[in-house]
Order: sequence, then structure tokens, then C-alpha cells
Amino acid sequence: MNKRDFIAIGIVIILSALGFIFLNFNLKNDAQGGETVKISVGADIYGTYPLNENDEIKINTKNGFNTVVIENGSVFVKDADCRDRYCVRQGKIRNGSIICLPHRLVIEIESNDKSIDAVAG
Amino acid sequence: MKKVLALTFIMIIFLSGCSFGSYSYSDSFFAMDTYMSVTANGANAQSAVKKAKKQVLRLENLLSAHKEKSEVYRLNKNGSEKLSNDTIKVIKNALKFSRLTNGAFNPAMLPVTKLWGFPDKKYRVPKKSEIENALKLAKPEKISVNKNEVTLNLKGEEIDLGAIAKGYTSSKIIEIFKREGIESGIVNLGGNVQTLGAKPDGSLWTVAIENPDKNSEYLGKLKIKDKAVVTSGGYERNFTKNGKMYHHILNPENGYPAENGLSSVTVISEDGTLSDALSTSLFVMGKNGAERFYKKSEKDFDIILYTEGGKLTVSQGIADSFNSQLDFDIVKKD
Repeated sequence: MNKRDFIAIGIVIILSALGFIFLNFNLKNDAQGGETVKISVGADIYGTYPLNENDEIKINTKNGFNTVVIENGSVFVKDADCRDRYCVRQGKIRNGSIICLPHRLVIEIESNDKSIDAVAG
Repeated sequence: MKKVLALTFIMIIFLSGCSFGSYSYSDSFFAMDTYMSVTANGANAQSAVKKAKKQVLRLENLLSAHKEKSEVYRLNKNGSEKLSNDTIKVIKNALKFSRLTNGAFNPAMLPVTKLWGFPDKKYRVPKKSEIENALKLAKPEKISVNKNEVTLNLKGEEIDLGAIAKGYTSSKIIEIFKREGIESGIVNLGGNVQTLGAKPDGSLWTVAIENPDKNSEYLGKLKIKDKAVVTSGGYERNFTKNGKMYHHILNPENGYPAENGLSSVTVISEDGTLSDALSTSLFVMGKNGAERFYKKSEKDFDIILYTEGGKLTVSQGIADSFNSQLDFDIVKKD
């Protein structure tokens, strides 16, 4: 190997190291981004909302409507026209999910804690 | 220069190594009256997940007591039917757990749950006499299985496999995964969680246990591999009438919602069917009954009990894998 090779190897190693640092830095930033509320209807994601910002979202599905409220770090369904209104009666949640089966609506709190793979309950 | 190119190539492979080595595929869908997520890791992940989903829909069409044309629906209607292997297996399992739990698990309670309106969600509080009459039909010992033919020997007797079907299904998915060469995967069938192997990086899966009070922290987190985790509680499905809450887990002894101070029961084992069946049964037994059953049982499983008063009890087999902000007692085998 000649001198040019060594320089080239050096550059490759430095670039790799920079890439590694950049990737890790980005991952860290993601984790600090705060919890979010993911709403989906059937197989489609309807929207993602920060849990720490109060909001009221009216969702019109083809089967009916649900009004979702984000308030002081909790989520609840304020109103809905499904038959059993089970989503409304679930009340406020801070973790896990609310599911409205008749409307195929799923409201999930995506935890900061990326270590959780599933919730049994 | 060639060497340098080769080295650069090796570096690139190193840097992107994780995306080369682990291919992951997930799907979420509605089935069996709940929301399901299925994830497989490995080269064959996509095909394994697709086959799993197909299997779920197939089993739903066999086992649901409420789907017209399902095998269980036809059995309930006609009193006697020739059934497919899967249905026979689930019924045999249901009868086995009924004996094992001394009747706390009862697959023949449908006439009673119908009175309460749980299947069609038209809730009402039945009269005591109605419940007593319906309970006369809830006799699992009057169900006979002869090869592939099942007979309900009481007129009007009806079965519902809802307390065991999801557990059987998750076990079946894990079987499919294995057949497809998958060594790592996780299945969540509406809160029935089952894992295959460990995570792709070799670490254990973390399964959080829901707090019946959903507006507070999880009860705790479990570190597991190759285990099925199923939680049952009155908080999952219920209605309120005249200020009183009635939930869907009925005590087969009296036909009323089981009320004995337990808020939720979690059962952890290698067998999805067992975890599912026992979580319901232990909830019916209450805290003392559940602990007694655990202490005496020869079956290999662990439990997490949570009382209405907020007391948490965990069995010795998982005490070291369970992490909670709450204090908990440890129950040991006899």
C-alpha cells in the first residue's frame, strides 16, 4: 500500500465515524420529541398530533363521526355516533389506545418509551 | 486503489449492517371483534405475516359464535355438527380447562351472556329467575365430542369460545411463523400478546401490562421471550345501569359479573391458549382462589394479580422479569 491509499482509508474511516455520530444524534433527538397521538381509520393513518398540545379533532369516517379531544396530556373521545359509544365511555387515557370498532377508528398514544413492544390488556 | 474501493465497500456494509441483516414486516387489521397487529422479523417476514392474517380470518369464520355460517354458530343452532379439526381442538381445550378450573372456565355460558346483552351490545340487567333458568343450560359436561362430531346434549345449550379463541389463534400464528423459518416475531390480538424468540438484536421483548385505570401509568413492564401474555379484567367490556357497573366476565356459579375485588389478572405462559383460558378463569376465582390455583397447579405459568384496592401480586417465576413503579408481593409455589 502506498501513502495515497492510507490517506484514502483515513478519509473513509473519518466519514464513517461522522455518519455514526450523526445517526445517533438524530435518534436521540427523536426520542426527546414528546409523546404523540396517532389516529388511524381502517388501514389509513388519519393524522399524528402532539400529546402536550390541547386540540379537538373531528373525524368523519365512512361509518360515522368521532370527536377526539387532546387535553392536558390525556386523550378522550368527546362524542361519537357509533351504536355502543364505547369509545366515549372509555374516558381519558394517558397510555395505550382507544378503539372504536364500529368506525374502525384507532387512537394510539405513541410512548416516548420506545422500549415497549406491546401492551397486554 | 482497488484495495481502497474494497475497504470503502466493507465500511458501507458495516454502516448499513442493521438494515441488511433484519427485515421486519407488520400488518394491523380488525378481526374477531378487536384490533390486531402481527409482526415478523426475518427474510420470509412478509409471506409469514400474510399467511398469519389469512389464518386469523379463517379461524374467525370457524370459531365466532356470532357470525352466521360459522361452525360454532351452526353447532349452536343445530345442537350437533361435524366440525373441522381446528374447531374440535378449541372445543376440546375449552372442555379441558373447564375441568381443570373446576368450572371457573365455562364455554357454555352463552345463554346467560345473551341475557345480559353482551354479544349484541344491547345491555340490560336480567331478572334473577331468567338467569337461573339460563344457567341450567350452561353445562360443559353435557357437551360430547365424538371424533369430529360435537353434540350439545341439552336443548338450547350454546357455546361461545370467545375466552379461548384469540389465545388459540395467537399460538397458531406462532406455528405459522416457525414453519416459515421466522425466529423472531410478536403478535398482539387486541391485548392478547404472544412473542416468538427474542427481538432481532437478541434482547428480550418488553410487554407493558395495561392499568385498568387507563389514565395512569402501566401496571408494569415484563421482559420476556417465547411467551404469551394475556390480561383479563372487568374494565375491558362493561355497562352502567342505575349507577352500578356490570362487566362481561360472568361467574358461572351464579350468572352475575364476577365480583371479588380483582381488577385484572394477567397470565404468562408458553401457550397462548392456556394464558387466555386461565386469565378469565383466575379472574372468576378471585385473588385467594387464583393464588391457591397457581400454588397447586402443575401447569407451567405465571400470574400478575391487581386488586380494586390497588394491590399488586406477582408470581415467583416472573418476579425478576417484572418491573413496576408500584410495590408488589410475590406469591410462591407450594
